[in-house]
Amino acid sequence: MADVTLTNVNKIYGEGPSAVHAVQDLNLKIDDGEFVALLGPSGCGKTSTLRMIVGLESISSGSVHFDDRNVSALEPQDRNVAMAFETYALYPNFTVEQNLAFPLEVRGFSADEQKKRAQNVAELLRITDLLDAYPPALSGGQQQRVSLGRALIREPDVFILDEVMSHLDAHLKFQMLFDLKRLHRELGRTMIYVTHDQVEALALSDRVAVMSNARLQQVGDRNTLYNAPANVFVADFIGEPPTNFFQAQAVESDGDLRLAVDDAKFTLHLSEKTRAAVKAHGGARFIAGIRPQNLTPATASDATSGQTTATLSAKVSINEYLGERSILTAHRGPVSFRALAPPETRSAPDEIVELAYDPANVMVFDPETEDLVH
Amino acid sequence: MSDIVRGDPDTYPAWFQNKKTTRPLIVSRWVPIFLVGVPVLVLLAIVIYPTIWMFYHSLRDTNIQGLFMGNHSYIGFENYATVLSSDRFQDSLVHLVQYLTFGAVFQVILGTVLALTLYEFVKSNAIRTTVLILMVLPMMLPPSIVGTLWRFLLTPSNGAVNQALLDLGLISAHIEWFNAGVSLWSIIIADTWNWTALPLLIVYSGRVSLPPAVYEAARVDGASQWKVMRRVTLPMLKEVIAIAFILRFTDAFKFVDLVYVMTSGGPAQSSELPTYIAFQRGIREFAIGEAAAYAIVIFAISAILITLFLKYMKRVMKAQGFA
Ligand SMILES: Nc1ncnc2c1ncn2[C@@H]1O[C@H](COP(=O)(O)OP(=O)(O)O)[C@@H](O)[C@H]1O
Ligand SMILES: [Mg+2]
Repeated sequence: MADVTLTNVNKIYGEGPSAVHAVQDLNLKIDDGEFVALLGPSGCGKTSTLRMIVGLESISSGSVHFDDRNVSALEPQDRNVAMAFETYALYPNFTVEQNLAFPLEVRGFSADEQKKRAQNVAELLRITDLLDAYPPALSGGQQQRVSLGRALIREPDVFILDEVMSHLDAHLKFQMLFDLKRLHRELGRTMIYVTHDQVEALALSDRVAVMSNARLQQVGDRNTLYNAPANVFVADFIGEPPTNFFQAQAVESDGDLRLAVDDAKFTLHLSEKTRAAVKAHGGARFIAGIRPQNLTPATASDATSGQTTATLSAKVSINEYLGERSILTAHRGPVSFRALAPPETRSAPDEIVELAYDPANVMVFDPETEDLVH
Repeated sequence: MSDIVRGDPDTYPAWFQNKKTTRPLIVSRWVPIFLVGVPVLVLLAIVIYPTIWMFYHSLRDTNIQGLFMGNHSYIGFENYATVLSSDRFQDSLVHLVQYLTFGAVFQVILGTVLALTLYEFVKSNAIRTTVLILMVLPMMLPPSIVGTLWRFLLTPSNGAVNQALLDLGLISAHIEWFNAGVSLWSIIIADTWNWTALPLLIVYSGRVSLPPAVYEAARVDGASQWKVMRRVTLPMLKEVIAIAFILRFTDAFKFVDLVYVMTSGGPAQSSELPTYIAFQRGIREFAIGEAAAYAIVIFAISAILITLFLKYMKRVMKAQGFA
């Protein structure tokens, strides 16, 4: 078992004008036994990062340590890591069982032990009926589970799982997320899980590392990413539906600082804490953000609950009914934004509704750096 | 007007419909007839007609004179009886087995070893390409040149090969390369030099197209290079190696040229292969009927062997879910 430390890691593919800087100045420490998800849109450098940790790709600059051991120059077989590949990379000439057992075969496990463990892993991944099949005859989701199983059958220092659930249907994915989480608890080993799906990342991991454009944007648990996103990208990427952003101007009247959204002719109230931060930050123009979840139709109970809520009226143009909730798309002048409503919400087109929000949930970002003002 | 076939837009394939074109598919009716007809005629002329012709004459006492005068008569399977009962043919079958084993099979093994060595141990693309080109050069020479070249190299008294072996101290007296019992080996040596590059090329290109991700998985799984070669690479190349083998195998059944140039089947028919006898009987001695029977017997043997082999391959591929 090991902790993993990435120090100033860079990956540059190729050279000259066609060079691709796939990972830039990445610093990340993953504790022993921790489950960390690497989350980001496709092409942001997640796989490249993993491949450097595993040892399949040379590190352009920087270093990778397992505990105190610098493994940057070691071959994959000398690092004691197990990896499930995005592209499955199954041995086409082996049966599923042989694929699962190959890491054990290589390590000289007895045939009985190989069979027993392959059986166990297959049960976990619900592929027992496929043990005698060959990979080319399997569907994408089935191959994906075999590939995951081949990684899980070992007991390495670090598990590295690259988009291992991308081809599973929602129902199966949900079950497997649960099983993987349980397995992680039982084994207590470090797991690095790459995904572009925030639901997977947030459901599984102790901490999520958000990447974009070759750079690490923020590392944190669910609440941190959700309530204090480091920048506009994280605020936008985490959460569904995405955060509403407004171009806004700081205005002060009677000592009360607010953000005015000029185009839409409304002002956003801020919490005490945010007001102080904005004042300290200085400047007049900002990007304001509020999550649709934190913007809901005002009800009578809001008024009586004594919460410090503010309201904002807008014209509803679309009401998307999604089962357990409805997404309202509202307009104010040329500005449109989304709000979340209880499923029973009925609103006629072009109806004016009153939307309530807690000023503490208004996020403010610097328009130049796009970093959170806090 | 009636020559024009107008396609029905509803039956266009999806990709064509997506082009949002209103232009109908206009083709002259003669285009498809021409495209199919010409190859059919060519096949008829150079394959189908001669084959039927050969079957016909294998059942008749045709010789060159009879062929031109048009007098030959049906003799049933007499030609086949002659062929199958002749010692000359039976000996040539033994030679064929020797040639298949130490020619075709050995060449495929050698080509595979060379191809994989080149791929695994030479990492520079420039060197790889250069080696491949050098290896392929012998394949580009006409058989008459290859045969003549090796006749010179293997000349017992002052040939380069004997001289080199003497200088290296590997032999103490000249090897008589063209004596009975040795001459077929000389042909096999020349043929190996000539053709090993074919299995080499096939296996090499097969290796190049294997998915690199599988090899990365093997590295992470901790497999040694030898283990990967034995358990992953060779099994994955099984089909490709089989194709190389089939090619060398079918060539073996029509292998005449080097025999003709180097030994003419001699001395005393000791290096004759079945096809060479067919050639000799038909083209040199004008026993057309008997030569045709030879050809058909050879065809039957190779057809049976190839069919069995393909059956086996198909079973293997099916088990792996490829077919
Ligand atoms: N072997 C390679 N050679 C050149 N560019 C590469 C290579 N692998 C990845 N890249 C580039 O690096 C960037 C990051 O890729 P990757 O790490 O695969 O992203 P992700 O896994 O987040 O989708 C992409 O722009 C991709 O095109
Ligand atoms: Mg990727």
